[in-house]
Amino acid sequence: MVDFARVQKELQECNRDVEVSGIKVSPKADKLTHLIGTIPGPLGTPYEGGTFEIDIQLPDGYPFEPPRMQFSTKVWHPNISSQSGAICLDILKDQWSPALTLKTALLSVQALLSAPQPDDPQDAVVAQQYLREYQTFVSTARYWTEAFAKTSSLGVEEKVQKLVEMGFPEALVRSTLEVVGGDENLALEKLCTV
Amino acid sequence: MSKRVLCKFFAHGACLKGEHCEFSHDWKDPSNNVCTFYQKGVCSYGSRCRYEHVKVSRSQAFASSSSTTNSHQSVVSESVPLACPSKTAVKWGYSILSVKPADHSICSFAAAGNCPRGEKCPHIHGDLCPTCGKQCLHPFRPEEREEHLKTCEKKQKHLEALKYSQEIECSVCLERVLSKPTAAERKFGLLSECDHPFCISCIRNWRSSSPSSGMDVNSALRACPICRKLSYFVIPSVIWYSTKEEKQEIVDSYKGRLRSIDCKHFDFGNGTCPFGTSCFYKHKVKPGSYAWNNLMPRKYSSNAVDMDALLSSFKYLYRPHRRIGREEEIFNAEDLDNDILTPEEILLMHLDFETSDDDDDEDLDDEDFFLMTQQGFETSDDDEEA
Repeated sequence: MVDFARVQKELQECNRDVEVSGIKVSPKADKLTHLIGTIPGPLGTPYEGGTFEIDIQLPDGYPFEPPRMQFSTKVWHPNISSQSGAICLDILKDQWSPALTLKTALLSVQALLSAPQPDDPQDAVVAQQYLREYQTFVSTARYWTEAFAKTSSLGVEEKVQKLVEMGFPEALVRSTLEVVGGDENLALEKLCTV
Repeated sequence: MSKRVLCKFFAHGACLKGEHCEFSHDWKDPSNNVCTFYQKGVCSYGSRCRYEHVKVSRSQAFASSSSTTNSHQSVVSESVPLACPSKTAVKWGYSILSVKPADHSICSFAAAGNCPRGEKCPHIHGDLCPTCGKQCLHPFRPEEREEHLKTCEKKQKHLEALKYSQEIECSVCLERVLSKPTAAERKFGLLSECDHPFCISCIRNWRSSSPSSGMDVNSALRACPICRKLSYFVIPSVIWYSTKEEKQEIVDSYKGRLRSIDCKHFDFGNGTCPFGTSCFYKHKVKPGSYAWNNLMPRKYSSNAVDMDALLSSFKYLYRPHRRIGREEEIFNAEDLDNDILTPEEILLMHLDFETSDDDDDEDLDDEDFFLMTQQGFETSDDDEEA
């Protein structure tokens, strides 16, 4: 059974200093076993400026079993599958400890973005490129960040378009999107409850 | 002195004091039906008590002891040894000047924190204890003072530790350990090798969780979740420690407690304990158990007394009419009437024979063996939460 009291506490704790860490965790539905975490791409890396979404599933044994995390935003990184978003990180597997939290785990993922481990790859193609053609790797990673991890102005317009098509007034859609920070799902949830 | 109240014992026809009784042996006098236990504060019969539960106000009890209107109460008051030699001697007309000051007990109200009689109290008021702030130090009994100061300080320390413990959070459930809902959960689990606090249920849960995702029992689960230092056992404690000595004290008292409990795995020699010689629990070998029959040290068999023969005769006598591992029956006296010798008798016979032997060294060995088997193997080291 998932320790929901602990998950609640973790969410509160995490949202308290969201400005400092930039790491956000929020429930995907009303169930606390499925969460969405977002981390900013670390500065000085090809991922800078991007906001990466991570899908978090809490197993029954949490916190005695590691949370199942994988990127839902596409990332070009030797330790992250470019296809599925699976993360190769020891603390999410055999090195998990119940003293770790969702926030510390996400921080580790963020650290992984700035320090790739090509010797222990998840995505062999990316790892090969990282080792052989580093410049190509950097530009590809940057391109992927631009393409998938940035909430560009065009992206916002697309979201507005999508929500308006669902039958919400455009002004309301814009203001709601602004309130939730451009998150389409959260905006939709909010619009439905209004 | 108070002949006015009917003697309770006399009323039941059994007063041993006869003429010398201080109570009336005259049927015309009224009996006193007041419950003395109730007046002292505790009557275990409660509302079912056949004596009257009358509360006596202090002043009344006070006054009545000087007059002798109510003998029952006066007896109560007088039975308390009084204090303050000069004051009370005058006030009460006793000649108690001959009594040493150390023989007087101090006022219990003052010792409890507040004496309603204040300055006018006839009893000695003890000196103020610096730790608990109560007047409970007897001015004339140095040993008592010492003892109180010591226990008081200990209590104070314990209280402070408890207060400090209240704040400690478990790093797994992120809750304050001593604020958990059930009493069983309000316990710390101390790790032997590091000083990170967890609640006992969390750390035990973690250590016993099945290594599903390839986690290694020895490197991951046995390690502290925070510092990953390996600890081989967890000690439950209701209090968190602040010094190394305090931790050691907790660990020692825990181990001491376990050492007096028989290990259920070992089962007096019939089972096998996974922790072996490092088990915290008592490993006692009972005569007739598997370990007794098969695992006793072989080196003793070469002694003057043939231990093999002894043991086999032991087994032979023991087996036909008994089941394994039932000590009560082995030592039952009923067998003494039988023609068959009991195991103890055989053992004693052998030992008698052996004491007449001249070989001292071997004697010692045998005695060791005998002692060992009698007391069982009591080993202590470390163990896991069994």
